[in-house]
Amino acid sequence: MSLLQLEGVSKKFGQVVVGEAITFQLMQGDAVGIVGPNGAGKTSLFGMISGDISPDSGVISFEGENVARLSPAKRARAGIGRTYQVPRPFEHMTVFENALVAAQQGARARGHKSYDIAFGALERTGLGPLANRPAGSLTLLHRKRLELARALSTSPRVLLLDEIAGGLTDLEVNELTTIIRSLRADGIAVLWIEHVVRALLSTVDRLICLASGVVVADGEPKEVLASDAVRFVYLGGKRIDEDAS
Amino acid sequence: MIWLNIVIQGALVGGFYALFACGLSLMFGVLKVINLAHGDMAVVAGYAAVFLAPRLHLPELWSFLVVVPVFALVGYVVQRTLIQKSIDRDPFTTLLVTFGLSVVIENLLLEVYSANGQTVNIGSLIGRSWHPASIIYVSYVSLGVLAAAVLVLLALQLFLSKSGLGRMIRAVADDQEAAQLSGANYRHIFGIAAAIAFATVALAGIAYGMMTQFAPTSGGVNLLFAFEVVVIGGIGSLWGTLVGGIALGIAQQFGAHINLSYQILAGNILFLLVLAVRPQGLFGRKNAVS
Repeated sequence: MSLLQLEGVSKKFGQVVVGEAITFQLMQGDAVGIVGPNGAGKTSLFGMISGDISPDSGVISFEGENVARLSPAKRARAGIGRTYQVPRPFEHMTVFENALVAAQQGARARGHKSYDIAFGALERTGLGPLANRPAGSLTLLHRKRLELARALSTSPRVLLLDEIAGGLTDLEVNELTTIIRSLRADGIAVLWIEHVVRALLSTVDRLICLASGVVVADGEPKEVLASDAVRFVYLGGKRIDEDAS
Repeated sequence: MIWLNIVIQGALVGGFYALFACGLSLMFGVLKVINLAHGDMAVVAGYAAVFLAPRLHLPELWSFLVVVPVFALVGYVVQRTLIQKSIDRDPFTTLLVTFGLSVVIENLLLEVYSANGQTVNIGSLIGRSWHPASIIYVSYVSLGVLAAAVLVLLALQLFLSKSGLGRMIRAVADDQEAAQLSGANYRHIFGIAAAIAFATVALAGIAYGMMTQFAPTSGGVNLLFAFEVVVIGGIGSLWGTLVGGIALGIAQQFGAHINLSYQILAGNILFLLVLAVRPQGLFGRKNAVS
């Protein structure tokens, strides 16, 4: 049985199509990259999976249940973890408290267990030494790690990573991909939007290309990148201009 | 000695202001709702203490034991229904809705209880005071209200910083969408924050009725003081609310000492001075203003 399955998911904001019959599935332990030009609907897709945006039509099943009408909080508790493209830590709380909130609410853990989960997530993302720092004082790299740690603290079965490598140096990207690979080895499925294709290729074994809300390619990363459809989206003519405007 | 008395009397009044303002501060800090009916809700609590508590054969002094929990419950329900609906529409709707609520409450009270002044009857306790020095009289009631304010703020501070639920409230106040992604049902958390705010406003309303007369229209001027306290102390800081309340109380007593008609003016001048010199308030964070 697939872990996450989308069937004919569509969404329009006025005349702007951000999703048009999006259909794909994710098995347990899969690592899938999502690429596509700006405005292709990648972040909106995450919004629909995590519950921030409700789709106009279509089915989103998680572990066999349709979650398309559940609140974001319920989906987080069910096992869908998400990071934001621009990190949004609880700035007035410590790093540890950020993870603790997620462990107590998302993973429904209490007492010592919640502390263990939160601290484990911080250790895993290399934030252990910063646990008592106010989250508002963190640098970009550490904020991105905190996004990951907070999502991890909800004990997710699938992680939606939104451009987590964007804006980081090569070295920092390498550190993050190492963490993400280790999460995958633990059986957490990863769905990862990224413009840093090199980072993606080091981690995922499948690539989905979105353009104007449509899945134009889905398959082996190298094949997808080499396909005519993707080359057209990125390099060829009219379609890109429309997206840019 | 006169000056010492001004400071003491100001601090005593300030305790009430802080107790009254902390609910407003909480509603704004967590829900981002400016509750224009805040003052009127305090007045409702006063009427509940005067007219409903005796029916339960409860002395008016102890009426808060019933009124405060009921207000907390009402706060949760009003938040989950009326206020949440208006938050979902757009932030300005909450202003209109709470303003409407304020008008409705005031007129209902006028209709039912008339415009006559009322007080919460606490028997002979009202006249008693501690007399430490020649002209200094410390009213037991005012002292009790100040103590209640400090206790409430201390309890709130501990609750928000140490408990799991308090941590959730802070998380939701910081970023409600991110809190949802972490699995928190922010509407429920909003409801709890509103319940606490309503409970404190009930306590403040009853305290007000013990200290002085109130009428259906008393809410407005007190709401103004509450706003001043929150701004002087700094938005989002509970200790700031206490210090802001005391500062406003002392400024008013000082003004009243010069000329009785300067009482409110002196408070307003302090308020404007703080706004001009330190717009984030005495204890406020700088980014809370932006």
